[in-house]
Amino acid sequence: MSVVVAGVDIGSTTAKCVVLGEDARILGKSLNVVGVDIVKDAERALEAALADAHLSRSEVSFITGTGYGRYKVYFGQLIVTEISCHARGASFLFPGTRIVVDIGGQDTKAIRINEKGEVVDFAMNDKCAAGTGRFLDVCANALGYDVAEIGPLSLQARRTVKITSTCTVFAESEVTSYVSRGKDPKDILAGLHASIANRTLSLMQRVGVEPEITFTGGVSQNEGMVHALRRRLGAPVNVSPLSQYLGALGAALHGRERLAGGAS
Amino acid sequence: MITGGLDLGAGVIKGVLLEDGRRILATASVPSRGSPVQAARHLLDELGETANIAPGDVDYLCTTGFGRYSIPERNLQVSDFTSSARGAIFLFPKTRLVVDVGTQASRTMSVSETGRVLKFKMNEKCAAGAGRFVERCSKYLQVPLEEMGPKALGSEHPKLISSVCAVLAETEIINNVAEGVPLPDILMGVFLSLSQRAYSLMRYVGIRPEVTLVGGLVRNVGMVKALHDTVGMDVNVAPDAYYAAALGSAILGHSRLLKLAQAPRGTGG
Repeated sequence: MSVVVAGVDIGSTTAKCVVLGEDARILGKSLNVVGVDIVKDAERALEAALADAHLSRSEVSFITGTGYGRYKVYFGQLIVTEISCHARGASFLFPGTRIVVDIGGQDTKAIRINEKGEVVDFAMNDKCAAGTGRFLDVCANALGYDVAEIGPLSLQARRTVKITSTCTVFAESEVTSYVSRGKDPKDILAGLHASIANRTLSLMQRVGVEPEITFTGGVSQNEGMVHALRRRLGAPVNVSPLSQYLGALGAALHGRERLAGGAS
Repeated sequence: MITGGLDLGAGVIKGVLLEDGRRILATASVPSRGSPVQAARHLLDELGETANIAPGDVDYLCTTGFGRYSIPERNLQVSDFTSSARGAIFLFPKTRLVVDVGTQASRTMSVSETGRVLKFKMNEKCAAGAGRFVERCSKYLQVPLEEMGPKALGSEHPKLISSVCAVLAETEIINNVAEGVPLPDILMGVFLSLSQRAYSLMRYVGIRPEVTLVGGLVRNVGMVKALHDTVGMDVNVAPDAYYAAALGSAILGHSRLLKLAQAPRGTGG
């Protein structure tokens, strides 16, 4: 029996899939934007990752679903919370991880884990867009930028503009008023990133801040955010190009263990 | 004796001219875009024209609201709590609880028989509890602001919003539209969500009749209905309650003027 497993992570904004082979090697992965039909998006994520791995569906032994839309992964055999999956995935990439910071499109989590990658404690903000990727989206829009551009631009700031509003809606007005007062958009962007870093730190303090810190989720791909977080923490932060896939990777790893456990 | 009251709110500037602390001569409002100081001066001119009063005939000008310190011509400024409460008591003397839902903040205060503020609570940190939320809904639902209330009254099964955040609610509302939820039900859901936020502020200061709604959203029939249903008691509303804070500051300006007139010479104001 081949041991190919897949993990599908349906987030609020994107669907990710990772296909793992022998020795937990990543054979293929995919990332799609989530639309209205989540069931279809989940299937599309799996198919795209399988195509990337040059495998067919019948070669996959086990599929695990996770994320906000995990209950829509109907073709899976296991469902695991995204918190466990991010913990598992982060621990796999960076074995020294004790705190996982996951900033997604619409929520933020701080997860404390042990050396086995198991969740010890976590804190989450899923009630308010402030401090999430959504905050950056809205503010990037207000400034007329694509969200992908704002991280690098924020790094060119010379004088960070302090954003006083917590609420995303009010921050948006604040941004507009700074623009009309002639502030440099780069300086405003640096302020927005610093504002999220502040929110993140207070969330992390609820579970305790301890090295190593691994930054995951879509927002971890934003280098401006990585910089702001490192600066606010005064400590190194692990990031990987695979950060966005950690949920899916963790799901696949959970599936792999389940399969091994079931066989023994 | 003519006193002017100006309420420099985050979204709208409201003004009132008052005679002898009793008779409303004129009310007017203007959006507070661009320069609030200029907008406020235009508003004062407009009020003067309506009341047929020359600018120099206004004996005392009292400001309130977010931008109350921005008007150099003012004689006095008072906090929004004090002015809203005073305006509410003027309109409905039996008021014991005032709810003021504005563009960027909502506040509630319990008041004594004399209109003194006893206890208050405010939300200015989160757009979900303020008129800004309704403005945003108006934009993405493409329903003009003034039509939202009347349309919401047609709701049979209000679609409640589970998100607390105005931004996250947006996604939820758009999904509801996509799923074919009737527009009136969506709109009533918005007002109920806002009412629930106001209700938790109200519970904090203590709910006692009569309850009077003032501020930007008092003109919105959907909001009035939603608040009534949420609180489970009658809520006083009046067209002039839109100007309650400006009215209250004109009244407080009048009281101050009377005190100044009675004070011995040389003590100043």
